[in-house]
Amino acid sequence: MQPLTWKGEIQTIKQGLERYAFLRNETNAARKKFKKSPSKYQEAQRQIRHDSGVELSERRTLQIRFDSALNSAQPVLERFAMFWANHFAIIDKDELPQLATGPFHREIIRPNLTGSYENLVKEATTSWAMIEALDNGESIAPNSRRGLEMKMKNLTPTVNENHARELMELHTISPAAGYTQEDVIQLSYIMAGWRPARKPKKLGRFTPIKFNPEYHQPGKLTVLGKEYEQRGLSAENKLLDAIKDFSNHPECKKFISFKLCRHFVTDNPTDAMVGHVVKAWNSSNGALPEIHKAVLEVAFENLSSTSKYQNPEIWFLQAMNIAGSKEPSFDIPEKLEILGHNPLRPIQPNGFPDTEAEWLSPEFLIRRLTFAKNMANVGRSYDISRKLDIENMVRKNFSNSDELIEWMGPNASRREKLTLLFPSNWMLFA
Amino acid sequence: MIFNRRQFISGSGSLFLMGSPLWNARAEQIQKRNIVIISLRGGMDGLAAVPYIGDRELNKARPQINVSTKNKLNSDFALNPRLRTMHQLWKEGQAAIVHATSIPYTERSHFEGQNLMESGSTEPFTTDSGWLGRGIDAANLNGLAVSLPMPLILRGESNPDNYYPTKMELPDEMLMQKIASTYQSGGLVSKTMNRLQNRSRFLQEKAYGYEAFNLADTAALELAREEGPRVAVFDINGFDTHATQGGEEGRHADNLAKFDRVVNTLKKGMGPAFDNTLILSLTEFGRMVEQNGGNGTEHGYGTAIFMAGGLVKKAQVLTDWPGLKKADRFEGRDLNVTIDARSIYCSAMAACFDSDFEKLRREAFFGASLQDYTTELFKV
Repeated sequence: MQPLTWKGEIQTIKQGLERYAFLRNETNAARKKFKKSPSKYQEAQRQIRHDSGVELSERRTLQIRFDSALNSAQPVLERFAMFWANHFAIIDKDELPQLATGPFHREIIRPNLTGSYENLVKEATTSWAMIEALDNGESIAPNSRRGLEMKMKNLTPTVNENHARELMELHTISPAAGYTQEDVIQLSYIMAGWRPARKPKKLGRFTPIKFNPEYHQPGKLTVLGKEYEQRGLSAENKLLDAIKDFSNHPECKKFISFKLCRHFVTDNPTDAMVGHVVKAWNSSNGALPEIHKAVLEVAFENLSSTSKYQNPEIWFLQAMNIAGSKEPSFDIPEKLEILGHNPLRPIQPNGFPDTEAEWLSPEFLIRRLTFAKNMANVGRSYDISRKLDIENMVRKNFSNSDELIEWMGPNASRREKLTLLFPSNWMLFA
Repeated sequence: MIFNRRQFISGSGSLFLMGSPLWNARAEQIQKRNIVIISLRGGMDGLAAVPYIGDRELNKARPQINVSTKNKLNSDFALNPRLRTMHQLWKEGQAAIVHATSIPYTERSHFEGQNLMESGSTEPFTTDSGWLGRGIDAANLNGLAVSLPMPLILRGESNPDNYYPTKMELPDEMLMQKIASTYQSGGLVSKTMNRLQNRSRFLQEKAYGYEAFNLADTAALELAREEGPRVAVFDINGFDTHATQGGEEGRHADNLAKFDRVVNTLKKGMGPAFDNTLILSLTEFGRMVEQNGGNGTEHGYGTAIFMAGGLVKKAQVLTDWPGLKKADRFEGRDLNVTIDARSIYCSAMAACFDSDFEKLRREAFFGASLQDYTTELFKV
């Protein structure tokens, strides 16, 4: 994939992690230090937040995201990157959306879209952002060295099932594969040990991920009837082997292909559509470029019979795009908040939905209508140029441009025309 | 301003009410029954909300995250101290609990669980309407969601409204008509547009904040209005506390307090209409009896349901307590379930919609075999 189009500074995972560690560790220290004085604590907290650059990071991440969408020479691939970023959703927890999610999208999702699905799952699963979001670092397997030490002290070591469950349910095989609670526990044992390395020490518990066998359940572990055991000196292969099997599971291929078709083609994909993508998956061994190509084939083949209600972010980008806007503004977080869709802030690990019914309600529609009116306020709106030739824009972007121009009316002002056009059926659906 | 029903009836409080559009002279005669559903998403821990104090099992299982039991409900149960309004209502006979209950779903996935808790089905992701939406259709009523998306639970034929206001202005009437004319007639966008063009003026107010309790202010006014909706649905997120759940001060209790604040706001905002209202909580599942190493809890099964409002028959904990010993737990780990939560949902609808339990059981719950608790739990 080509490098990002953004010419300014781009925060790396390492920088994000350092800022995150700074923010969390300093905040905790301040809380202890100013236990008796809430006002002093608040003041310290404000300073720490400022020094960590936490707010700026989110603005910058969304600017970079919009910049890619509007300026990339590979806009279709950028669309797929958005899909996968949402598939491996990092939930809105603590300061992850500001400091972890952007770098995760840029370094874990984007560069791995030319490889295999299995590799993408591996990268996402062992990433710091995902492990922090889904608490895998909390796991201490009962028969691990640390677990046995705890038992000697009469403590009970436990695993956190959260990440293991979502790896199967949301990221790979889906419940259709028929795994059981015992499978979830066994996978949690396999995943135990994938946790922050606690090095360098100054970062406290917010450090890069490294497999630590001291927390891992030794021996053979069974998931979906298959045994996983250690090869070589480290047991880290167990998780990678499980991911390989999940990625080749027929239910996984079906589930992911269905999700791709639902996102890109129609709310109700047919078996034939899903089958076409599964076929490409099988013949390419899960190569993402081939899978993506198959999704596009399905989309083009069904162009006349399907239309897809666009999610708020894509709709906004679409409007900027047809208006020829190239420069994303600084206040995208606020704008996306109005639309109800900040892609950095999914509430649950299943990410944002794909269907019309999920994105429609009276208030959701009001957001689009009021937003369109604001965007159309040419001269005050940053997103649309004052010089925009609306008729020319319509001719360039719509096959039914004559009908549209007549509908907007010859006497309507520029502002009225855009207020009409953006929330019209022609822009809501694509 | 402190206000209660007695003041209102005696007339001495009416001065306070001048200008308030809802507490008009007819308020006393309004017999409209309301139901407010509050979805506690992420898996609400019934054992942290309504701890069992009948034996020491819970203390042993949760040494770091135990909750004070000073607010005793009876000899067996206490209420989390953060549920202040609920405790007050309990004392007034306007709050009740169902315990060791859940929808019949044991796979512990949030997304399947929430889907079933809302759809009322037993197969995840097979139904695109909700049990409340179908109940509304069966009883021919109006619903109001207090969230930006339309929650599945309310979806049905009736095309309900929602409230989640923005500060921005809509285009003027003529432009709105013109935009509407592009929508495919009969489609969801067109229906939604039609709904918002015909809203009551309360719903056209501007935003003050998006916390559930901010929104509850407006929902209370709408519910209290005779022509307003009889059904409102709220969401409170964040009950999925795998780590640092805490006791009374932690994340879980903070979310319980949010729920409590919504109840409080509704009670204050609705005035006398609160007496004709039932608030009912939902969640996809409870949490494991034993805490984990990160002072959190894993996904479980059995949990509690909160009920509040004037339609609650009496302060009671309805339960057939299964016990917390390992052998009594579901799969040795979770609070077991002895009451199907759908029976409670269906009974609540029957009570609030003046509708037949049997009819709702068939039309909203696909004829599942459910038990009728209507007269046991609610004033009918």
